[in-house]
Amino acid sequence: MEILKLDHIQKSFGKLSVIQDLSLTVSEHSLFGLIGKNGAGKTTAMKMVLGFLQPSRGEIRVCGEKVTYGKTQTNRSIGYLPDVPEFYGYMTPKEYLKLCGRIAGQKPEQIRKRTEELLTLVGLANVNRKIHGFSRGMKQRLGIAQALLSEPKLLICDEPTSALDPIGRKEILDILSLAGQQTAIVFSTHILSDVERICNQIGILDQGRLVLQGDISDIKSTYRPDTVRIELAGPSGVSVLAEKLQDFPFVSATEVKENAVTVRLAGVEKHGHKILELLVREQSPVLKYEVQESSLEDVFLEVVK
Amino acid sequence: MNGWIAFTKKEFMEQLRSYKALTLIAVLFLFGMASPLLAKMMPVIFSQMPVQGISITIPKPTILDAWVQFFKNMSQMGIIVVLLVFSGTLSREVTKGTLVLPISKGLSRNAVILSKYFASIISWTFSYALAGVTACGYTFYLFGRFSAPHLFFSLFCLWLFGAFLLAVIMLAGTVVSGNYGGLLLTAVVLAVMLAVNVFPRINKWNPVTLASDNSSLLLNAKTVGDLSAAVWTTFSLTVLCLILSLILFRKKKL
Repeated sequence: MEILKLDHIQKSFGKLSVIQDLSLTVSEHSLFGLIGKNGAGKTTAMKMVLGFLQPSRGEIRVCGEKVTYGKTQTNRSIGYLPDVPEFYGYMTPKEYLKLCGRIAGQKPEQIRKRTEELLTLVGLANVNRKIHGFSRGMKQRLGIAQALLSEPKLLICDEPTSALDPIGRKEILDILSLAGQQTAIVFSTHILSDVERICNQIGILDQGRLVLQGDISDIKSTYRPDTVRIELAGPSGVSVLAEKLQDFPFVSATEVKENAVTVRLAGVEKHGHKILELLVREQSPVLKYEVQESSLEDVFLEVVK
Repeated sequence: MNGWIAFTKKEFMEQLRSYKALTLIAVLFLFGMASPLLAKMMPVIFSQMPVQGISITIPKPTILDAWVQFFKNMSQMGIIVVLLVFSGTLSREVTKGTLVLPISKGLSRNAVILSKYFASIISWTFSYALAGVTACGYTFYLFGRFSAPHLFFSLFCLWLFGAFLLAVIMLAGTVVSGNYGGLLLTAVVLAVMLAVNVFPRINKWNPVTLASDNSSLLLNAKTVGDLSAAVWTTFSLTVLCLILSLILFRKKKL
């Protein structure tokens, strides 16, 4: 089932065009990472899904229901975590969640039960002080609790980890991947390692366009860079080896750095043995022969070029 | 409806925990208590002042003096306190972004405006009524009686003006962004109404007369009929301000 569908969305502020023709679908149980540079239009896209901004053109549907700007019905199926969530500082976490639950129309009994579960999940179960003394990480965790309170079908997180320290980030990611077992999650970020860690689907947003969308493992194998890195024991024979490698017709480029040479070639599987043969023939003191994995970073840099 | 009730509860909690309600109640209560007392003490205060060569004769203070004092305090300082306490109620939340989460939970934007207006008008009514009752009590204690001509109508007029002002604050909060924009716009609206008040022809309809003609009412210089036009315009303007706030807030960027 399609939980979220954006259909040819455009958005401009005055003359500045922020989103140009954005279409994407998020299905049930997917953990969708929306990647983009700062200013790529991630937050704008999310705010339009929540009805906080009006698209200049196009249609957004949440669980099949159309999103109307200024109306809030569709938000009942959505849990939202902004990049810096703002709470009422004079409330305790329990009071805040109670307010949220009542707004969402939940029964008191249900709210009490969910509040306990969620505060335990995010590690705030025994915190009874007022929110205004909370650290950023604690606020972020409370933010996740409030987003999951009404068991939403879709959880939207806007850069949930950007402002946190490494421990805080790990905690948030762990909680999100746990939550992902029950709901679809759209998660925007510019931290690629976060996406690699928890997402199964990605979309790369660049200058208001979705330049790439799909399964993370498919994308990685499609964008495999075909690079081999050879590390020798010392720097002496490296440049000679590089020259010899360059003579192969299938090698497009070599790069020497200290005692290692990086070779870009067409078809590692097909021609790799020829490199190995060369290494044996030359009796090069090889420390390491490595066919490099493509990282999301390579993919990202390639598509937003 | 659920959202409205929940959010109204939150408004009251906010008023209590941020000491807004306490400030308002305490200040208005003080005015209610001090006004008759001040009227009674006025001759004593004057007689204590060292005036050489001038003889000041002050008539014996009456109940009317007590109420004139009360309305003077309430319509000036009282209104200013109301303005300061409630002016940020909407704009602060918009600036800080605290409304984002409740609205993302499905709270309707109408409920935000209506809850805020309802909660603020309840606080205003309660603290004003407390001040009024206190003034009645003290006037009775000091002067033996407390009733004056058109007293209740006069009290109602000032209450209605306060209710109107709260609606203007709501509208200002939806029109202007920023923490002090709303306060400034409300102050401008007040200033314009005061300026317009010098034209006798418009005077009759001007909401400001509800806060400035209370003494004339007490002194029988004006009748209920003279102010009824202003009462109706104020009531209509209050409703209009609220409707406009509801419409404009629907399109407000959060």
